[in-house]
Amino acid sequence: MKRTVLAISVLLLLLVALSACAPAAPPAAPAEQPAQPAEEAAAPPEAPAQPVVLRYADKAADLGTMDPHFAAATQDRNLVDMVFNALVRYKPGDGSVFEPDLAVELPEPELVDGKQVWTFKLREGVMCHPSEQVPAYELTSEDVVFSLQKSANPDTSAYAGEYTGMTVEALDKYTVQITLENPISPVLFFPKVADYAGGFIICKKPYEAMGADAFKTHPVGTGPFMFDSYSPQEKVVLKANPDYFRGRPKLDAVEYRFMPELNSRELGLKSGELDVINGANEGQWVERMSGEEGILVDVYGVGEVATIHFNMTVPPLDDVRVRKAIAYALDRDEFLALFGPPVAANVYSQVPAQFLPGGLTEEEVKELGLDYAVDREKAKELLAEAGYPDGFSLEVVSSERESYLKPYQSMQAQLAEIGIDLKINVVDHPSMHQLIRQDVNPIVVYVAWRPNADVYLTRFYHSDSIVVTGAKPDTNFSHYTGIDDLIEAARIELDPEKQIQMWKEAQIKLLEDMVSYPLLYMQQVTARRDYVDYGHELKSVLALYPQITENTTINK
Amino acid sequence: MTEATQTWEAPTIQLRSQRQRLWRTFVRNRTALLGLFLMLIVVFTAIFADDWFIAVFEGREARPLLAPHDPLKQDTRNRLAAPSSEHPMGLDSYGRDTLSRVIYGARVSLAVGIASVLIGGVLGALLGLTAGFLGGRVENILMRVTDVLMAFPSLIMGLMVLAVLGGGLLNMILAIGIVLSPTFARVAHGTTLSVKQNQYVEAARSYGAGNLRIAIRHILPNITSELVVLASIWTATAIRVEANLSFIGLGISPPTPAWGSMIRDGTQHLFNAPWVSLFPGLAILITVLAFNLLGDGLRDILDPRMQQ
Amino acid sequence: MTRYIAARLVLAIPTFLAVLTLVFFVVRVIPGDPAVAALGDYASKEAVEALRERMGLNDPLYVQYFRFLADLARGDLGTSMITGKEISELVRQVLPYTLQLTVSAIIVGSLLGVPIGIYTARNANTGIDYVGRILSLSGLSVPAFYLGILIMLLFAVKLELFPAVGGGDIHDLGDNLRHLFLPALTLGLIMTASVTRLTRSAMLNVLQEDFVRTARAKGLKERVVVMRHALRAALVPIVSIIGIWAANLIADSVLTETVFARPGLGKMLVGAIMQRDYTALQSVMVIYTMFVVGVNLITDIVYSFVDPRITH
Repeated sequence: MKRTVLAISVLLLLLVALSACAPAAPPAAPAEQPAQPAEEAAAPPEAPAQPVVLRYADKAADLGTMDPHFAAATQDRNLVDMVFNALVRYKPGDGSVFEPDLAVELPEPELVDGKQVWTFKLREGVMCHPSEQVPAYELTSEDVVFSLQKSANPDTSAYAGEYTGMTVEALDKYTVQITLENPISPVLFFPKVADYAGGFIICKKPYEAMGADAFKTHPVGTGPFMFDSYSPQEKVVLKANPDYFRGRPKLDAVEYRFMPELNSRELGLKSGELDVINGANEGQWVERMSGEEGILVDVYGVGEVATIHFNMTVPPLDDVRVRKAIAYALDRDEFLALFGPPVAANVYSQVPAQFLPGGLTEEEVKELGLDYAVDREKAKELLAEAGYPDGFSLEVVSSERESYLKPYQSMQAQLAEIGIDLKINVVDHPSMHQLIRQDVNPIVVYVAWRPNADVYLTRFYHSDSIVVTGAKPDTNFSHYTGIDDLIEAARIELDPEKQIQMWKEAQIKLLEDMVSYPLLYMQQVTARRDYVDYGHELKSVLALYPQITENTTINK
Repeated sequence: MTEATQTWEAPTIQLRSQRQRLWRTFVRNRTALLGLFLMLIVVFTAIFADDWFIAVFEGREARPLLAPHDPLKQDTRNRLAAPSSEHPMGLDSYGRDTLSRVIYGARVSLAVGIASVLIGGVLGALLGLTAGFLGGRVENILMRVTDVLMAFPSLIMGLMVLAVLGGGLLNMILAIGIVLSPTFARVAHGTTLSVKQNQYVEAARSYGAGNLRIAIRHILPNITSELVVLASIWTATAIRVEANLSFIGLGISPPTPAWGSMIRDGTQHLFNAPWVSLFPGLAILITVLAFNLLGDGLRDILDPRMQQ
Repeated sequence: MTRYIAARLVLAIPTFLAVLTLVFFVVRVIPGDPAVAALGDYASKEAVEALRERMGLNDPLYVQYFRFLADLARGDLGTSMITGKEISELVRQVLPYTLQLTVSAIIVGSLLGVPIGIYTARNANTGIDYVGRILSLSGLSVPAFYLGILIMLLFAVKLELFPAVGGGDIHDLGDNLRHLFLPALTLGLIMTASVTRLTRSAMLNVLQEDFVRTARAKGLKERVVVMRHALRAALVPIVSIIGIWAANLIADSVLTETVFARPGLGKMLVGAIMQRDYTALQSVMVIYTMFVVGVNLITDIVYSFVDPRITH
């Protein structure tokens, strides 16, 4: 018996020792950890003021990258939004308005030898965050040029394609000149230099000093918050930038947590351990949480658009009558009910008119008779006309994510009504993305936000973008070739009115040929404690979070 | 009745009376009877969820029989509705009747729970018993193979099976079976090592009994009780793992109901509509209860030590 | 014994190679591209191609394979394809949380499971036994996720006794332990269920054995009979199941880690699969296999302690 007890204690001791020795190896970074006011527990009376920390919980499981030119996942976009600035910015809380950011004002373009020239005057006294390698220094045109050139390089940026035909040069310390081979309208130009994706301006010296890989987990910019620490799978801590050019942030720090489990985020908010959480794309959740004491729920744009694309090259979908039959068989309100207003809303054109210039409104589409209001009798007639009175069957893959499974499963049930048998194979999200790009799905549901009408139309409907076989294979799942000329003409049209008109014409063609069926958009949902004030009205944010700025406060 | 049969020739009597004794042991065990009863209910539910046995002959689609509604019929406008007299277990996130889905779900879940544990159990027991009994180099090789198998969590094993054999229910059952097998192997191995040292094994060996005979007659019966218990422990796990694997495309495709997937869907709405995940959870509990009570009863019968 | 351990460690090498080779090729066969996962679906084609090139994914498979083995032989686990961080650094930051949770869950599971198992076995087929059995069966049926949420709701939101969010500050023991309590309880209770089941069954068997009857007949106290004679004989399967749990917990604690938003090796593994972060996946599997081999070795050694007749 004694030996047994001994054996067990040895086993346990071994394991305990194993766990004890692991943290004993002191990590490099956390020397300043104790100074970091992350915990809520200790507040000794002699401390003059408790640091104000905003604790945000996102649904991501971990960080991707904080190099803004690679940031693609929502959590990455959220974080870089707090750390970096750009030449111009979308107004906080309202993604439809441009304002100057690092630039003093929004410039007017000039035409020089058929090329378009944009000249930006930089603010003076904008400071780059200090880092281990490089102390704080003033951001100048040198950094801006370096950053935009980095964005244009496919080796250092995911968004290089946006910057072809663009040259950037520094005229003096505070002046940057951007020259475009082909003139474009401001609606298409400003997004390239705004605070989204490739437009973010990074600081050159620290980037060069630490190298591309290290920069991904230690970003250095000029924004209201600067990087403090990253704990894998747990959180990123940002602290206030005391030298921020719009003034020191009212928050002392932001604790950005990775919490993939919705119910845990909800309980964390209720227990007071979190201040703001990413909510559920679910009307009933919004309703219930809004009723909780001390909790406010915000539902805002931008909305990610779900669209159903038909592969027009495979039978029986190559017959327009079949595609129209499917359109008539579908009921937008059925799909909508699965998410529930106000979280989602119907869309009637490929470019969402609610958020972007160039989309068709519900009234416009209905007037043209292109809304394909549900009519299953008509759908059956069309099917019979096309030679499929008894329907047919199709097989598709879907991502395991709710935002995909819901539309696919609802479509499955609705198409069954007109005799179409849709078999759904569920695969994980990365598999789906690869498989649909290999053209395995005759019908593709795709959920995406794109910054303007041109990107939507080019990426999904230009013949160059056709999956597998296009000149630059992308996400044209329908293999459509009918609006290339309109897309290209609109892209170089400088008159905004005419440009919008062309985009609308293009979408009317898409609807007439039933290339794709615009379904709905899903808005962003966040819940916060009522003492959190973002400091701006919340209408739409491209970075898909409520935006935490120097004006965000906690008023306990 | 027993007295009447006793007059007949000896061997039959012995066999029969032994069988009867076993049966009486079982019947006396009230918990085992309860287990059998629950098991029958679950199996009955799975079989009679719809009238497939009539539909087959009439050449039509099966219609719900035990299930009050079509388990696939969506009523999205009333989704997540609370339990009512019309829908005693409420509606799920697609507006489908949860009760009907729980009833139909018994089919896949039972198949997964039984088949994968059986595969894992037989494979594992074989590995562990052989290794423990033969010892030496064979033991080393076999147990290192289980180390390899044990190193793969279900998700990765699922991916491997998916990559090699493709998707589908059968392959998923196989994947879960392989994931479970090393746990059986290790328990069988440890217990065999211990049992092997017992005097009766030595005795059997001194009689000149062959390896196979000793393994089957003396060792296997003495390690079954642990294996049966282990099997009943992993049943619930197997049923739930189905949900984890169906999202990488290895399980059943939507909209076919299965309890694991139903719980998974329901957890998205845990606080809004707890019934969506609660009822399939209870169904798993009942099934596990049935397996375990029945397993204990079986063990009492099979284990030689339990018979006075 | 030393020779046995040395032999086992040598034998671990082929085990490693087998696991790693399988993982290496399987993740490359399933669809999904780490470059696309890293850059998002909006990235341009050139950027994806450039990244694939930099990740070395355009090299022939065998080149990638041997490069991986060569790096591993030098003790280099590589860098994450997504965050660009050293994997060894990531593992070092995450591992303490995993070990804490695993060890504490095993302690809870064993300290609760073994005594309850013995107690119910001694009182087999009484009211207390039925209650114990039903409870432990419920423990087997309830998903870790469900139990975690309930425990969180009770202890963190209603009673406000323990924090619900995160792993706590690893350099502050008090804070760390407060954050450990609820997840350890969750996993521990689930483990208790199966340990109770197996202990009860093993004890029931042993209590029927001749030597136990002999001990009783000798007039020894029941306590002594149970603890000194019976338990010892029943210990081998109990040790097996605890060992199995120790190995499984690392990967199976994913749900608990997710619910309580703790970092962990299991979560890292799943994350690596979902992101198609090949290098991270391979390296985590290295660590995990090491752990499994280690735990199995310890378990096998413990066998011969609890049952001295077993020799290696």
